[in-house]
Amino acid sequence: MKIGPFASLLAAVLLAAAPLRAQEHAEAPASAAAAETAQAEKVDIITPHITDGNHMEVPWILPPFFKEITLPHFEPVHIGPVTLDLSPTKHVVFLFIGAILLFTLLTVSARRHARATRSGQAPKGGPNVAEAMILYIRNEVILPNVGHHGEKFVPYLLTVFFFILTLNLLGLVPFGSTATGNISVTATLAFLTFVTVEVAGIRANGWGYLNTLFYWNNDLPVVMRPLMFLIMSPVEMIGKLTKPFALAIRLFANMTAGHIVVLAFVGLFFGFAGTVLTFSSLVALAPITMAVLIMVLEIFVAFLQAFIFTLLSSVFIGQIREAHH
Amino acid sequence: MRSTLTILAALAVPATPALAAEGGNPNLLDPHYGLMFWTMVIFAALFLLLRKFAFGPILDAVNAREQAIADAMAAAERDRAESARILAEQKASIEAARTEAQRYIAEGRATAESMRTEMLEATRVQQGELLDRARKEIESEKVKAIDELRREAVDIALAGAGRLIGQKLDAAADRKLVEEYLATLGSK
Repeated sequence: MKIGPFASLLAAVLLAAAPLRAQEHAEAPASAAAAETAQAEKVDIITPHITDGNHMEVPWILPPFFKEITLPHFEPVHIGPVTLDLSPTKHVVFLFIGAILLFTLLTVSARRHARATRSGQAPKGGPNVAEAMILYIRNEVILPNVGHHGEKFVPYLLTVFFFILTLNLLGLVPFGSTATGNISVTATLAFLTFVTVEVAGIRANGWGYLNTLFYWNNDLPVVMRPLMFLIMSPVEMIGKLTKPFALAIRLFANMTAGHIVVLAFVGLFFGFAGTVLTFSSLVALAPITMAVLIMVLEIFVAFLQAFIFTLLSSVFIGQIREAHH
Repeated sequence: MRSTLTILAALAVPATPALAAEGGNPNLLDPHYGLMFWTMVIFAALFLLLRKFAFGPILDAVNAREQAIADAMAAAERDRAESARILAEQKASIEAARTEAQRYIAEGRATAESMRTEMLEATRVQQGELLDRARKEIESEKVKAIDELRREAVDIALAGAGRLIGQKLDAAADRKLVEEYLATLGSK
């Protein structure tokens, strides 16, 4: 029983790797037919996995148990100078899957939770888990950092946490893809936090918000004030932008890096195992063990990064709301 | 948003060589505006839906439960104070009842004691009276008997003496004489 989750993880990794292996095999005769160049033997299994694209692999009932599908392509929309290609990509699909999954789970939980509460019982199972997570994030992360009257930021920050968490975890399941490992997604989420922070600053400080943009210190000598204004104001403004920038890069880099490491170990496994099973194939147990351990770490990182994004967003909102003090 | 992206792009340029793929592979740091659009739309929709259907109800329920628990605790506190008060009252009344009972018992005992004393006294007085009366009666009976005896003795003596001297003695004078004699006997 104790080996249960470990074995299932191993299976998950192998399953996730199955299409890759199949790819290699599928490509092998083609390359042999083309030429005996070593160049053709090189198959990049990492870049397609961590990047976006309009191809997706889905589970299939017939061997090799996966199927590559091409997503539909729409004509780009032109809005002024911006060309917007709204065609669904792999990551768009996973954004949708994550959103629908999350909405279903949380709504069902909320309904059962409300029913349990109405009947005067403590919620059990899923609703209880949802409540525990929501309450933890609200009471330990959001409210202490956002400060007084922070309740109106709770839905936004909870959505950020659960959405990022779901997307992170979707990248770890077989056939999954990590939308949060895409800089466009993380940059958009960071941008939303940026907007939230600035709007919170304007609402909390009124005209005092300008103090967070322009540096004018009345404690300085009169001569120094304009000088410091000119030097420090850009620093203040850049400081505003570095926060969401760091949020975007942190999430993107963490998600991408973990996947690259896992895929590298999976690649090592196939490299060591070879096509013929010999005694020396046992060496392949080392990279697969490492892959499993990194996978476990990835589950932790998925939670951690969602948590950090939410925590830092709360801190930024709290900072700017306290700016006038 | 534009400025953020520009800075992102500017910073991404020197960072790319390691990640920049050769031969048309996509750059990891290339912004994809369509994806950004979708992210924003999906996030906004999810935010609105979750706020209405998930977080709102759960937080409401939690708040209601917290309120209910707080109310229950306040009520329990109130009840506890109430019961403590009632208990103190009960104790006080039991104490009062016990004191009263003690008092009654003591009173009863005292009453019984005094009654006993009174009755004994009364009995003794009655006894004394009875004895006195008996004694007086005995005394008067005795005096009466002695008088009777004397009179009898005088009569007998006179009769005896009359017979002896053969004549009838003058009753009054003789009687006086004998009585005087007897008085000397009696005074002895």
